[in-house]
Amino acid sequence: MKRLLGVALGILTAIGGFVDIGDLVTNALVGSRFGLSLAWATLVGLVGICLYAEMSGRVAAVTSRGTFDLVRERLGPRAGLANLIASFLVTALTFTAEIGGIALSLELATSVNYLLWVPMLGLAVWLLIWRVKFSIMENVFGLLGLTLLVFGVALWQLHPQWGDLLHQIAVPHKPTNEGTPVYFYYAIALFGAAMTPYEVFFFSSGGVEEKWTKKDIITERINVYLGFPLGGLLSVSIAAVAAIVLLPNNISVNTLGQVGLPIAVASGKLALAVAILGFVAATFGAALETGLSCGYSVAQYFGWQWGKFVRPRDAGRFHLLVLLTLILAVGGVLTTINPITITEYSVVFSAVALPLTYFPILVIANDPDYMGDKANGRICNFLGSIYLVIIVVASAAAIPLMFWTKAGQ
Amino acid sequence: MAEGRTLDLHLHLLDRQVIDRDGRYVCKVDDVELEVDETGRPFVTAILVGPRALGPRLGGRLGRWVSAIGRRIADGQSPEPPRIDFALVSDIGSAITIVRSRADVDVGSLEGWVDAHIISRIPGSGHASK
Repeated sequence: MKRLLGVALGILTAIGGFVDIGDLVTNALVGSRFGLSLAWATLVGLVGICLYAEMSGRVAAVTSRGTFDLVRERLGPRAGLANLIASFLVTALTFTAEIGGIALSLELATSVNYLLWVPMLGLAVWLLIWRVKFSIMENVFGLLGLTLLVFGVALWQLHPQWGDLLHQIAVPHKPTNEGTPVYFYYAIALFGAAMTPYEVFFFSSGGVEEKWTKKDIITERINVYLGFPLGGLLSVSIAAVAAIVLLPNNISVNTLGQVGLPIAVASGKLALAVAILGFVAATFGAALETGLSCGYSVAQYFGWQWGKFVRPRDAGRFHLLVLLTLILAVGGVLTTINPITITEYSVVFSAVALPLTYFPILVIANDPDYMGDKANGRICNFLGSIYLVIIVVASAAAIPLMFWTKAGQ
Repeated sequence: MAEGRTLDLHLHLLDRQVIDRDGRYVCKVDDVELEVDETGRPFVTAILVGPRALGPRLGGRLGRWVSAIGRRIADGQSPEPPRIDFALVSDIGSAITIVRSRADVDVGSLEGWVDAHIISRIPGSGHASK
């Protein structure tokens, strides 16, 4: 019974924790401009994150080693360091976007300018990382994030032609007023938002924090294969309500308020309040995850003690690094650059950095020397290799498309 | 003891995590110290730790820079990195386990300095959150 509860909790938090500021903004933005004609990119990214998160979780359960621990071992110190620097910068940028996202959510709730919230939020994020138990952190924000399911309710209350929506997803038609490069630029953005690298750093390091063993592989798989797809469905419904409410009215998404606007139209004020609570929970949870991930990756490369399973003073360098990254991220938000803009760039740069994370994971999950009988099977390797090709193509195309389309204009 | 076992240095030793007898993380195998026995076969005598060991393996300007930082942190001119005698190694698996506790091996002064000057001055640093 206790195990069943644990599994249920794991699935729920996987759904609630799936969406972060990148998913919120990118899905709403794309829905308002392209309808559901790009939902395929979210779905492709969703299958990819399931595949690779499962691999990284399995590696953590079998070897007790986090992702970056093994990245250095496989790539050597030099290529590993280059990988670390790039991954760290992308994750720190995502961290900045998440903190901006919490502040914008609080501005929606209180009408107090988001910049005033930022220093307080910085302190709150640090206190939680410093003091709160890992599993409590994960469960509270994961469960509160479930309030975002209000997007699904809103979609239902809009009484869409379901067949029509499915047709739009299955047979994508690019809107005629948008150019092809812009279309593919946003496809890559959605793909990057769904597969953000920090998700696997965090997932595998979280497995080590919670002391997974081979016995936990089955739980880990259920979380990934049930929780993530339902979270992905939530992403698609964010795009769907934007497509139904915003697209016909030519409203494009430049603020977090516009992400929530379809909720207010479809389900009223109270539902909007619930959605805003969801924004706060999703971005706060993701801020903790990205902040910790910055520390995890560097500590794992250099072999420092890391993690919340020891006293902070036993992992001094790890906590100092997280604190410094937090100060950097808070400073980034305080530059007054629009957090929505930071988010848009963070998902595209995530797409650029994807091969750095996912290639080593595939190699290690496939290595019988480490994994014994838990190494990848044929199907897993086949799919993993196909995804590696997709990831490399998306990564290589991201920057040229960014310049070509002036970042999606 | 791993004495007598044949290892692929690159695959089984270099860049692996070193953990102490309590499962705490000690360091990485940044480099190894080799000696040659009478018959001319090389064997590993110690794990070398820290920027001064890692620097030469990184190579180039970056490597020299990392080594210099290591010397500066160590507060001396010695190019010799801290070492862990290979006799202390009890297991070579997905991590390298040593028989001592983390506190009893000297693997550089940064962690101690950070702890003493910053982290332990913040309230709550001595409480595990788990």
